[in-house]
Amino acid sequence: MPPEFDNPGTGAPVPTGAGAPEAGLGLEADGTRIIAADGGDGRQGAGPWTIAWRRLRRDKMALFALTVFLLIVACCLLAPVWANHVAHTGPNTTHTLEKLHEGSETKEVVEPSGKAIGPQFFAAGGRFFLGADGHLGRDEMVRLLYGGRASLFIGITAAVITTILAVVLGLLAGYYGGWADAIISRALDVIWSFPVVLLGIALGIALAVGGLQIGPIHLKSSSLWIPTLIIGFVTTPYMARPLRGEVLGLREKEFIEAAVAQGASAWRIMFVELLPNMVSTIIVFFTLNIANNMLLEATLSFLGAGVQPPNSSWGTMISEGFEALYSQPILTIIPGTAILLTVLSVNVFGDGLRDALDPKSKVRYEARAGTTAAEPEGV
Amino acid sequence: MARFLVRRLIGAIAVLFAISVLVFLIFNVVPATNPAQRIAGKNATPQLIKNVEEEWGFNKSLPAQYWTQMKLIFTGKVVSYNSHINIDKRILEGIPATASLCIGAAIIWLSFGILFGYLSAIRAGGLTDRVLTVVALIGISMPVFWLASILLYYFTYKIELFPPSGYKPLSEPREWFSHLILPWITLAVLFVGFYSRVLRSSMLDVMNEDYVRTARAKGLSSRRVMTRHVLRNSLIPIVTLFGLDFGAVIGGGAIVTEYMFNIEGVGLFTAEALKQQDFPSIMAVAIFGAFFIVLFNTLVDVAYAYLDPRIRLGTAAA
Amino acid sequence: MKKLPFFILVAAIAAVLAVGLAACGGGSGSTSPTTSEGGGGGAESEGKEGGTLKGAYTSFPDYMDPQISYTAEGWTAMRPVYIPLITYKHASGEEGAEIIPGLAKELPKVTNGGKTYTLFLRSGLKYSNGEPIKAGDFKYAVERCFLTNSGGSPFYTDIVGAEQFAKTKKGGISGIKVNEKTGEIVINLVKPRGTFNNELALMFVAPIPQKTPAEDQSAHPIPASGPYMITKSQPGSGWEYERNPYWAKDNGKQMPEIPSGHVNKIEIQILRNQSTQVNEIESGQLNWIFDPPPTDRYQEVKEKFEGTQFREEPTISTYYFWMNMKTEPFSNQKVREAVNYAIDPAALERIYTGQIKGTQQILPPGMPGYQKFELFPHNMKKAKELIAESGIKDKEITVWTDSESPNNDAGTYYAGVLKELGFNVELKILNPDNYFTVIGNTSTPNLDTGFSDWFEDYPHPNDFFDILLNGESIQSTNNQNFSQTNIPPLNEKISKLAGEQLGPQQEKEYAGLDKEFMEKAVWAPYGTRTLSLFVSENINLETAIWNPTFETELTSLEFKE
Repeated sequence: MPPEFDNPGTGAPVPTGAGAPEAGLGLEADGTRIIAADGGDGRQGAGPWTIAWRRLRRDKMALFALTVFLLIVACCLLAPVWANHVAHTGPNTTHTLEKLHEGSETKEVVEPSGKAIGPQFFAAGGRFFLGADGHLGRDEMVRLLYGGRASLFIGITAAVITTILAVVLGLLAGYYGGWADAIISRALDVIWSFPVVLLGIALGIALAVGGLQIGPIHLKSSSLWIPTLIIGFVTTPYMARPLRGEVLGLREKEFIEAAVAQGASAWRIMFVELLPNMVSTIIVFFTLNIANNMLLEATLSFLGAGVQPPNSSWGTMISEGFEALYSQPILTIIPGTAILLTVLSVNVFGDGLRDALDPKSKVRYEARAGTTAAEPEGV
Repeated sequence: MARFLVRRLIGAIAVLFAISVLVFLIFNVVPATNPAQRIAGKNATPQLIKNVEEEWGFNKSLPAQYWTQMKLIFTGKVVSYNSHINIDKRILEGIPATASLCIGAAIIWLSFGILFGYLSAIRAGGLTDRVLTVVALIGISMPVFWLASILLYYFTYKIELFPPSGYKPLSEPREWFSHLILPWITLAVLFVGFYSRVLRSSMLDVMNEDYVRTARAKGLSSRRVMTRHVLRNSLIPIVTLFGLDFGAVIGGGAIVTEYMFNIEGVGLFTAEALKQQDFPSIMAVAIFGAFFIVLFNTLVDVAYAYLDPRIRLGTAAA
Repeated sequence: MKKLPFFILVAAIAAVLAVGLAACGGGSGSTSPTTSEGGGGGAESEGKEGGTLKGAYTSFPDYMDPQISYTAEGWTAMRPVYIPLITYKHASGEEGAEIIPGLAKELPKVTNGGKTYTLFLRSGLKYSNGEPIKAGDFKYAVERCFLTNSGGSPFYTDIVGAEQFAKTKKGGISGIKVNEKTGEIVINLVKPRGTFNNELALMFVAPIPQKTPAEDQSAHPIPASGPYMITKSQPGSGWEYERNPYWAKDNGKQMPEIPSGHVNKIEIQILRNQSTQVNEIESGQLNWIFDPPPTDRYQEVKEKFEGTQFREEPTISTYYFWMNMKTEPFSNQKVREAVNYAIDPAALERIYTGQIKGTQQILPPGMPGYQKFELFPHNMKKAKELIAESGIKDKEITVWTDSESPNNDAGTYYAGVLKELGFNVELKILNPDNYFTVIGNTSTPNLDTGFSDWFEDYPHPNDFFDILLNGESIQSTNNQNFSQTNIPPLNEKISKLAGEQLGPQQEKEYAGLDKEFMEKAVWAPYGTRTLSLFVSENINLETAIWNPTFETELTSLEFKE
């Protein structure tokens, strides 16, 4: 299927590993990767990373998305500042019976009917900037910022876990083949064949009562690490399988054969020869995985198997808002918009990154919770 | 080919077996609660709990329990701990709703995915392409349940354009249709975004193939080249993906959509079983879901093997 | 390749989307007006007989089988179908707690120091299939409770031979003797049981034909003895009633106190979406719904329909926070008092959007023996002083609650209160289906304090004290005494009262018990639940009856003229 072609408008060369001395060796052998020939921006002699960077730098949209994402991250990191100095309340502090004084006006944070106060912006000096979150009268803005920390933490950390697991499994399976491959591939098949949401929720619910005991470490059921580990675990096959395929392709390359002939250890071949050649794929996967994980976290939390209340995450906030969908839709809209903007910025940036690093789009990764499809086996 | 089929079949069965064991372990090894206590009710005496344990076989060894459970599932006798209804029957009753939802959504996502991808590709770099790209990315960046909430709020409550939710059987076609429009859209949006992206890049790949260049050089009209050669050849990855995705959606991907719209299909049943931690139901739906995923995975593999003999012989698949 | 300001496009689309959503969200106050011009119509509508009543439940009852069902859902549904020997009056409020004869001619004669109950079955009664109702059918009903491992069977373990029967399930229960000719039924108990009349009046022991299999019959309706029979029952999707043809001819004539019902047919469907239920009541597609409107729309419905189609109804229930008295810090009475002072029932009323009424005692209004008192008016300062006096500081505690809204919010609020009192709080929110199993297992770690509620099984104060507060009833699993209260002199009082028939003297003693427990601050009670009756415009709300134990009396619903 892979043709020799590159996207119009973007340059061609594909990174074959930063600083890998053998880079030149393997190129022609692989039908999927052809050295840069056309002009574009790929000047002869420039390293693949330089070229990729140059290309990315011209992709204004990707850069804009990155800026948005970094801004969101910065805001969430500053949550305690907002909580202590502007809102003067914590994310879990309730204000059910409190009254708010705005000039001469006095408003109830929660009306007797259970309806919470709407966005006040700066009318109350920044208190209840986005209103209160329902019967409990917690500050929506503070919860949003703290919730963002949880969602981002899970999204990024789980992506790190997935990446490490996937790289190790992919390398082992792809390089050794035989039994190691059979076992790893079958295990991945099992997880792959499991509806992701179902597996995630099953694990989440099972751990919600007693927490998780890993050797000497006990994770409380309210720990963020539980959803993080679950998500990191269940999304592994979607990255490990394509990586394994890539290793299979690379293994046939001359530079690997050369390394084997020189008597390099398996360890060395895997991590010094093969790994650098996969970095661009891994980076793209990693980025899109963050987006996917954030959506999965939201879904799990929404169904009660992710972040445990009263701690907020954007998923739990939508879930809580959904209880009052018809009377106060804004409680659903606010956290949802936060997720949408964050995930969108990651996706847009990831898209640009892929164009920059790997214009062949060898990597097809679906960023979404629920089902994920990648290349079918053997392709 | 026969050997390949047999090999795939054995693999599929092994995966199903492993999944059933995995679910069983998750709910029996991880300390949760004793189902006997739940069944016995709030005033139970120890004697009553003991009786219930015997009645349901909770006092047997784990492998024995596993075996009983599987036997019940496959003989159609498995009963929920909570509602005491026959689970297999409930799953079968849920299939029409789930199938209606999935097939309808699939039609939408295929047609719009292809349309958007096609438009995007032929106008690559142009304004249409950019708009569609952004739309597609927004589509894949939304949590499904959030989209569902928003649609529910605006279209069933704010302006009462569609009936609130629920499912009406196909025997009432109008009702059936109007109840399913929002769920279809909800389920399809992600896929539309994703498929249009895939088709776009796949078409751009094909467009630079030599034969396409030749066809153009021969003076064939651009549209003709596009539909006849490019689109047709670019659809291969879409077909593959569709096989996998459709299996995944039928097998459990529609859980959230059904749950949000109260469509009484297999997905809603799954969501409820999970919420209630109703172990036999979870076990049955996990096997049901995995069955479809494995089935469609296998179909896709077989189709590929049919197209590409190397796979059949195991050189590429290793 | 020129890159047009592509990013501007993204920004624009995202912004339009966000603004659009926010803008639409802002004006959420107005609700869709479904035309329903002020229901009542003013005139004293007489009501008419006949018609088909359409109702909805959110979920199918646990069982549609009188011996096994142990939920309000099941009891409301089967109340007009299966009539026990004695039964609760079909009336609202306290009158509804009165026990009247059902299939038996009179209330039981209690002899032998409270250990022997004698009743007589009316003669000539028939089931809806035309077969006669026999005295032995009652005995079989009790046995069937044990045979099916019903959650109701523990109420009848004091019958002579019942405990043995529970184990062996063979040979019948020797303590029940029947005489088919005279219809005499004699029940012998192991020890006096003051609540036994209340228990005989429950659906668990409503007579059913002896050929009914000893397994769940939810899908195969058992022949009826009451005014309606279930003609079709599909677990998971709904069920239907028609009039029992033998009621008007035979049974009904003998039991004038049991209403015959107004409509000819009742159809109940399962409608999971509660918001849809509300819409369909408004549009008249449904006439009655079992569950109250969802919290989200409760106020909207109340404002629009109170008095015409909607009525708030009391239940005999108490919502409370339990505090494990076996371990620190709640073994310290000062801490428990502090918690009682710190909790503000007003805040909780608001959290429950007015669906609970604040109380600070164990017995709820409507329960015999209830006498209002308030020992711990909300006072945060006092609470903090008490904590300081107790000398307990920075203690780690776990707060438990279930995830059903607004119980989860109540738990969150409670955790916040405890934090304010200086504890390090961890909140655990479990799903409602196994919440009570988890906290009822005394080996579960960190059972410090948490939410619970209790709805009476029958209107007798022993149903609160013996199960929830008697130290002798603490069990290692399925425990209901979550505070693990074990105060020997009070245990004795409970046990003594349990053997006596309820009279004015006993009611007074129960009221005293209520106060004594609260003086020890064994719980932090915060309210009693109100439910609601919501019917369509063409149903007569004035004549609708809400029994505190059985909730809506389906036999009382009638269409307006």
